[in-house]
Amino acid sequence: MNCEKCKELLVAYVEELLEEPGKQSIAEHLKDCPSCQSQVRELRDLHDRLVKNGKALARQTVGGQARGDLENNVMNQIVREQNVRLKAAATGTGGPRPTLHIGRTFMKSAMTKLAAAAAIIVAVTVGMLQLGGGTVTFAQVIEPILNARTMAFDLIIGGEESGLTMHDIVVGPRIRRTMSNMPNMTQIIDLDNAKLLGLDAQGKTAVYVDIKGDLGDRTRSYIKFVRQIISQLQEGQVQELGERVIDGQKAVGFIGKGQNEEVTIWADPRTGLPIRIEAKIGQEFSFIMKNFEFNAAVDESLVSMDVPEGFTLQKTNIDLGNASEQDFVESLRIWAEIIGDGTFPEAIGTESVMREMPKLVQKVTAMQVSEEKGTQICMSFAKGMLFHQILEGQGRWTYAGEGVKLGDASKAIFWYQPKDSATYRVIYGDLTVKDVTPENLPK
Amino acid sequence: MAETDKSATKPADKYYVERCLDGHPDDFRYLVRRYQAALLANLAGKLGDRDRAEEAAQEALVRAYFNMAKLKKPDSFFSWLLGIADRVAKEHERKEQIQRQREIVRSFAEEASGTELSQDYALESAIAGLPDAYRQIVLLRYYGGHSCNDIAGQLDMPLGTVTKMLSRAYAMLRELLQQQKQTQVYEVEK
Repeated sequence: MNCEKCKELLVAYVEELLEEPGKQSIAEHLKDCPSCQSQVRELRDLHDRLVKNGKALARQTVGGQARGDLENNVMNQIVREQNVRLKAAATGTGGPRPTLHIGRTFMKSAMTKLAAAAAIIVAVTVGMLQLGGGTVTFAQVIEPILNARTMAFDLIIGGEESGLTMHDIVVGPRIRRTMSNMPNMTQIIDLDNAKLLGLDAQGKTAVYVDIKGDLGDRTRSYIKFVRQIISQLQEGQVQELGERVIDGQKAVGFIGKGQNEEVTIWADPRTGLPIRIEAKIGQEFSFIMKNFEFNAAVDESLVSMDVPEGFTLQKTNIDLGNASEQDFVESLRIWAEIIGDGTFPEAIGTESVMREMPKLVQKVTAMQVSEEKGTQICMSFAKGMLFHQILEGQGRWTYAGEGVKLGDASKAIFWYQPKDSATYRVIYGDLTVKDVTPENLPK
Repeated sequence: MAETDKSATKPADKYYVERCLDGHPDDFRYLVRRYQAALLANLAGKLGDRDRAEEAAQEALVRAYFNMAKLKKPDSFFSWLLGIADRVAKEHERKEQIQRQREIVRSFAEEASGTELSQDYALESAIAGLPDAYRQIVLLRYYGGHSCNDIAGQLDMPLGTVTKMLSRAYAMLRELLQQQKQTQVYEVEK
């Protein structure tokens, strides 16, 4: 190898794009060529500087305190401008015709309470993780995470393509949460006092919700879950997945399987910090966590439980505790009758609930019922779905309602085995419920 | 030639562009996320400070959204977006003021160079000075978190071409950074 050839390949060398023979011959040439050595040093410096600046910028835009700012500003401006264009088009006052539809013009300020109610379901729904006794363990403990003062990440419900993202910033017992399909809604959850503050940036309204009892515990367990799976990168039952490039970074992977969950963690091999966590819980629920940021400075006001200046506090009566089978049946009715125009949905579960939430708010708004009634419908839906969430962590269930018409008594749409019961509960299309022995279950 | 990285499991830009055009405006968020760091680096380099860059980035992104129907090749969303950003930057740019701003920022950046979060304005403005094709590759690689393989796939060129262009970009960046240093030295001496 001569210097000319070497210099040509140095960037590829620094970028680690060369295969073994090429890499080796460069390394050998470098050994006795001071000129190429100094060149590679300079390239490395520049490379490191680019990587460092790139990461710093990525942290500031996607991570840390300013996280989501540009993103949310852009999305909000788009909504505002779209509204102006729609109005202009509707009144025929000229202006450019709308070229794109927007699915959330229904988020009028009058519906804040409704939207807040709806958003709460999703807020708590991911708190519903049952840990199965914490059997998921992985190699390698990561102390800094356990003690992280702050932690921020994106949580994608379902697969990467679902487009349903929650962004959480966790500061001690407080969580600030935003969701991609309800862009104006922010929730601040206070785990110590089992309270949630819902904020609607567009309507400038705020609601407080009690999440006492079960609900609060579960929300808390979700944070615990996050810390647990990260901290338990320890002993046994863990399989190494080796090295791979994940989200643009080199990562080492581990997969761990518990009784009821399967968790894959990809971590930075240098720092041991997680880059991406993929989890499957129960039969249907999966999520991806990524864009982690630890110990970023978070402004106290971001997790304050006080109503921000300029926001109006709305009175609300929301009780989401102790969901029963009856609540679940009611939510199936709402799903078929209101969301599905008389037909049961393709699937049920957290991902579907989060996806359908804006649609439910939209449909309820279109029904022109009183706000009180509307809120009640949303809350009933939420409560029933919480029942299903709890099932998700406890045992087997089957949903077979796709395409079944509401009122069809001949078709079973859902069955499950309650804890410590020998028989199954089967729900039919007319929403009757019967006890059925295992051998008589629908096929 | 569409050599794709093993890790490239994320939907392509084209997918999100089409989703937006099909009436799912929320999906624009993912394009914002994917490119905001690259866009900010580019605009900070051109405009000199972070606030201006953010303002211009927002404007460019909103403009891109409302003009999406005009994007002929959804695969080249990023280079199209860069074009819009450059126009926005030009509109925002008032030359003398910016020049002054840059000097101030540069001196600040130097004072604060010990802190981790301080941005490398010298580097950003050098990147902003690269010819379009080279600038795009550098931005994608280091600010968009793309691997060279990803970039080859996205820009539909062989990996070898990407590394060659990257080599050339390194050489140009070194020159530009060198020039900056000399100007500064000269200014200090003056």
